[in-house]
Amino acid sequence: MNPLLAWHWLQRTVREWSATDGPVLLHVVKILLAGGLALWLSMLLDLEQPRTALITVGIVMQTHAGLVLSKSFYRMIGTVAGILFSLLLVALFIQDRMLFLFGAAVWIGLCTAGSVVLRDNQSYAFVLAGYTLCIVGLPASLDPDQTFAIATNRLSEILIGLLCATLVSELVFPRRLTGMIRQAVRKRFADFSELLDSSLNGHGNHRIALARLMSDVFRLESFRAASAMESDRSRSLRLKLGELNLEFMEVTTTFHAFEELLRRLRQKNLQATADHLMQIARGLLEAALPDGHSAHHESEAGQVADRLQTWLAETGHMPTDITSAGTSQTDLETGLSLLRQLASEWRDYARSYASLAGSAPGAEAPALGVRFDPVTVGLAGLRGALMLGIMSVVWILTAWPSGIEAITLGVVASTLFATSPTPARTVRQFLTGGLAGAILSWWTSFWLLPQAQDFTTLMLAITPGIAIAGALTAKPERAVTGAGLFMIWLMHLGIGPAYMQNPAAFINDLLADFLGIICAAMLYELIDLQGSRWSQERTIRALRNLVSDVCRSTTPFQRETLETGTRDLVYRSGSLRRITGPGDDRVIDWLLMALETGHQIIALRELLIEEPDVSVHKQFGQVTGDMARLFDMPAPEARSRAESSLQDLLQILEQHSSANCQRARFHVHLLQNALADKTSVLQFATGER
Amino acid sequence: MPREIILFGAQLPVLVPLFLGAGFGMLLLDRLFAIVGLYGLVWHPALFRVALFVCLFALMGLAIY
Repeated sequence: MNPLLAWHWLQRTVREWSATDGPVLLHVVKILLAGGLALWLSMLLDLEQPRTALITVGIVMQTHAGLVLSKSFYRMIGTVAGILFSLLLVALFIQDRMLFLFGAAVWIGLCTAGSVVLRDNQSYAFVLAGYTLCIVGLPASLDPDQTFAIATNRLSEILIGLLCATLVSELVFPRRLTGMIRQAVRKRFADFSELLDSSLNGHGNHRIALARLMSDVFRLESFRAASAMESDRSRSLRLKLGELNLEFMEVTTTFHAFEELLRRLRQKNLQATADHLMQIARGLLEAALPDGHSAHHESEAGQVADRLQTWLAETGHMPTDITSAGTSQTDLETGLSLLRQLASEWRDYARSYASLAGSAPGAEAPALGVRFDPVTVGLAGLRGALMLGIMSVVWILTAWPSGIEAITLGVVASTLFATSPTPARTVRQFLTGGLAGAILSWWTSFWLLPQAQDFTTLMLAITPGIAIAGALTAKPERAVTGAGLFMIWLMHLGIGPAYMQNPAAFINDLLADFLGIICAAMLYELIDLQGSRWSQERTIRALRNLVSDVCRSTTPFQRETLETGTRDLVYRSGSLRRITGPGDDRVIDWLLMALETGHQIIALRELLIEEPDVSVHKQFGQVTGDMARLFDMPAPEARSRAESSLQDLLQILEQHSSANCQRARFHVHLLQNALADKTSVLQFATGER
Repeated sequence: MPREIILFGAQLPVLVPLFLGAGFGMLLLDRLFAIVGLYGLVWHPALFRVALFVCLFALMGLAIY
């Protein structure tokens, strides 16, 4: 081979490797380093269970420094809360095991509910506060004199683990979130541009792809929250990211409204109007896609923003009075105004995106709010409490020495995966990892560890396990399996002040672990809060309530509240992350419906609020009342009443010539379209389809 | 200086409050350095901060032992 060619080949291979497998290897090395440090420190300090520090390292270590910092922070808070409550519970109820276990069940229930309400690492803090009670409180109840010692030991071990994990991930080749966030933003912009491209070129309706893009805001939001822990420069990036998220939600909603308008025009056999709008839309697309491809980086996004600005100026006085046969004047004007709104929102979004490259500080955007269904959250709490209850009964009735182990693992599994879109499947992955971990742990405990003479050989003995688990956790899709392997493997390693392991206790504990996990899996199947038809109905109901709230609110309802509220509800239900399941597309249809109508109502209210004429306000009040009733209880009569009050409002608006009233007409028209749509979920709900 | 303090009947080494104090001092210094723009001149800001914290904590520790 030509030496020059060989050199290039070598270069390319190294580059590819460093982009794909390099980070995994780095991750494994970091876990080994942090784990070794944590193990060494806790042995030096004579802590009772050095492996807790090792488990902590394994759990919090992630590929990016910011994620490690934020997870560590919340793990610490959760642990402290759990330990404090354990101390309280032991102090209050140690004489009566029923009261004690009842108090524990209430605590687990509350913590599970809290973990379902919040997102990401805050939710993780609640999980930890819950199961720390099992780890500290339950052993302490058997030996109350030792309570304080158990608590301080656990706290010290966790803190050492956290300290080592954060130090190593910050100091040794730290990988910053900033790069990852940039990449995610770029990809999202490109994905959305391509979606627009294929949709406006007439390649069908892209509901699912759009809905998936919509849920992307939560992924970025979690990075955003985690990057709060990272230092200095990412702070301004974080502010901009919040702004970017809000703008993205608005632009997707408007885009969906336009797509729906086109679809309904075709449904009403107004093909010519639709074609005319498509033609205008193509002009917009040309402005948005320089040279036919989407913007790849910040400076191109800046150009896109400028071109969209030009397009907006050009279309400002575009003649729309084309009265050829088969076109609808109102629809045309409405469509044009929607397109202009889309363009201006996209322009703002592209500007914010472009400003990521600069260092100008962004404006403080509100964090995404939380919206949840109290019944679902309550049931999740009940599931956690039930788990503790069932396992406690098993423990008391059988007087099994490993009962606490079973309770702990059961509670861990039933709280940790409560926010997963498919909990039952996630638990199965965890179980698979756990089984592998059990085999590995047998091998390590009875073949490798007895041969360890000193710290170096001890580290050698546990290196294979750490390497396997670390390689698994580095890949997001295998992270749960890796976590299962890590936890089960490490929990059964006989590392202490001295080697301690006996096969009987080992097998007992293993059985207890799997009993707990399997019991949790069964409870997830029994109280299914994500995939079942009942829970989907609850989500839809909550979405409808949100629209009614929008209609009924007297104070101006914030558009962001609607945008984040609807997405949050659907995100929780897991439909957007699953999509393939039966009934999921119905939830997504309702999401889009709620966004569309809610948004039109908000826009109408904003436009009409300063209108001097009382009759407009009165009729608008009538419309919102009727709409609220329709969304409370979809029925044919409610729909026709809403339609007629919309028609009345339109007539009143047509008598006014102010610019706001003219624009309000478009929104009324869009609402009418949405109600009249023969194939919408609303029609289905009123039983007319 | 005593080497142990008693908090709610539990003995704690004085190093614990010192650790917290050093952390608090570090927060202030960190804010100051970020404003001054010192971190732009440092090769490895994270390492710099950890080292600074260790120096602070060690100084305080030396004062009591």
